[in-house]
Amino acid sequence: MRDVYVAGIGITTFTRLEYALSEIASYASMMALKDAGVTEVDDVYVANMGGARVNHQTALASAVVDSLSLTPAGAAAIENGPASGGSAIKAGFQAVASGMDDVVLVAGAERMREVNNLEATDFVATLTHPIAEYIYGVTLPAHAAMFTRLYMDKYGVTERHLAMVGVKNQNAALNNEWAHLQQEITLEGILDSPEAMTNNPYVAEPLRFFDACPVSDGGAALILVSKEKAEELGRPLIRISGVGQATDTHAVFEREDPTDLLAVRKAAADAFSMAGLTPEDVDVAELHDAFTILEIAESEEVGFFPKGEGHIALEKGETALGGKIPINVGGGLKGRGHPVGATGVAQAWEIVTQLRGDGGTRQVEGAKVGFTCNFGGFGNNVVCLTFVRED
Amino acid sequence: MAREIYAYRCRLCDTMHYPFKMVCSGCKQNDFFEFDTVPLPKAGKLLTFTKVYNLPAQYEVATLGLGIVELENGMRMLGQLDIDEPAMDMPVQGTVEIVREEPYDNYYGMVFRAV
Repeated sequence: MRDVYVAGIGITTFTRLEYALSEIASYASMMALKDAGVTEVDDVYVANMGGARVNHQTALASAVVDSLSLTPAGAAAIENGPASGGSAIKAGFQAVASGMDDVVLVAGAERMREVNNLEATDFVATLTHPIAEYIYGVTLPAHAAMFTRLYMDKYGVTERHLAMVGVKNQNAALNNEWAHLQQEITLEGILDSPEAMTNNPYVAEPLRFFDACPVSDGGAALILVSKEKAEELGRPLIRISGVGQATDTHAVFEREDPTDLLAVRKAAADAFSMAGLTPEDVDVAELHDAFTILEIAESEEVGFFPKGEGHIALEKGETALGGKIPINVGGGLKGRGHPVGATGVAQAWEIVTQLRGDGGTRQVEGAKVGFTCNFGGFGNNVVCLTFVRED
Repeated sequence: MAREIYAYRCRLCDTMHYPFKMVCSGCKQNDFFEFDTVPLPKAGKLLTFTKVYNLPAQYEVATLGLGIVELENGMRMLGQLDIDEPAMDMPVQGTVEIVREEPYDNYYGMVFRAV
């Protein structure tokens, strides 16, 4: 297997965008092509979840190659729920690692704000089990809420811990010009003051408004290349050193212990094993905090902290910028936004930015090893990646 | 006749499944539909629950109770809750009712109430 490097990255602002879905994907891709300094690619993979349902656009990758004048490159769209982005990176990785391709464009894009919030919620809920979950009106916030209640009962996580994740990540987004949420929040405003229940109502008890990521439009893109090509292009050598993907039961209630995220555990372990790294080696991590509880739970399952102690590490500031293992320093899904198909690619965009030392006010000093966890379904399809800077 | 929700028991190894799987998760040896259907028990205890405020567009109610119930036989299922103050481990009893209405279809599922 050949080594695979990230030679270029691109992103759009995450917000409500008045552009077509294919334009969002193409814009991020154009940025990545320019960053890498390439005008031709062998294959294009475009991650997207809702184009057909929300935007009435299918065959997104064909639109992107045409728009970017990359024809006749191969092109395919990848729909894998919220793990579409990580899955597209994996596909691109495999194409280069196998020797079949030398240059691959991987993009992710979503345009969810074309419909109202109720329809967006329903569109994301279509990833749940159609007979045993979806028909009951279950939503992703509902899944996260039921998971949170079990986690609180078992491990002593409180609403305060959840709010602390929200404050940390939303305020981190203030250091990221591309992030959706650009509003500082405080524990007082969302939890402690008399106005907190008005500012921060429940969306699915015990989860409140500020425990959930926003509904965002946006795109992100990477250029993956072989080592020979990476050296020729002369960009910083950021290697994707580990790739892990794992699945779990479709219906969440079927899991033996519903507080275990076994797919996260396995995907992370596989990525670390492939890279020859351990969780202790990671300098900066992007975890899939679609809901605040998920940052805490994933920080345990990927191996940064023992099970049940993620919220304690959070209290100690170990997951903040300057802490032992800074998590979601660019805002995470909570602050940057969560255009579902784009998220896995945007996580990689942030890690590459960090490993290049281009993080500005959110830079983790001396970061050489990065990690991403892209969490699909409610934990039933997870992609984890490790990134290493080679000097 | 009371409506039922069915579990699927593998004819080769007796492993029970809900929801349906084409291949048995126990023995992985069976052929398609090599299962017997067995009605799920309707009594159980509430494992976890939530009250949802932002519902999909089809629901014309302000909030919806949802929960995961551990049934008498140890299997679990998701259902809607018609319970004012749900609590973990609360004994509940289910009935099969309409849980989602679409323009041309009504979907039936389990609605749990406190015992």
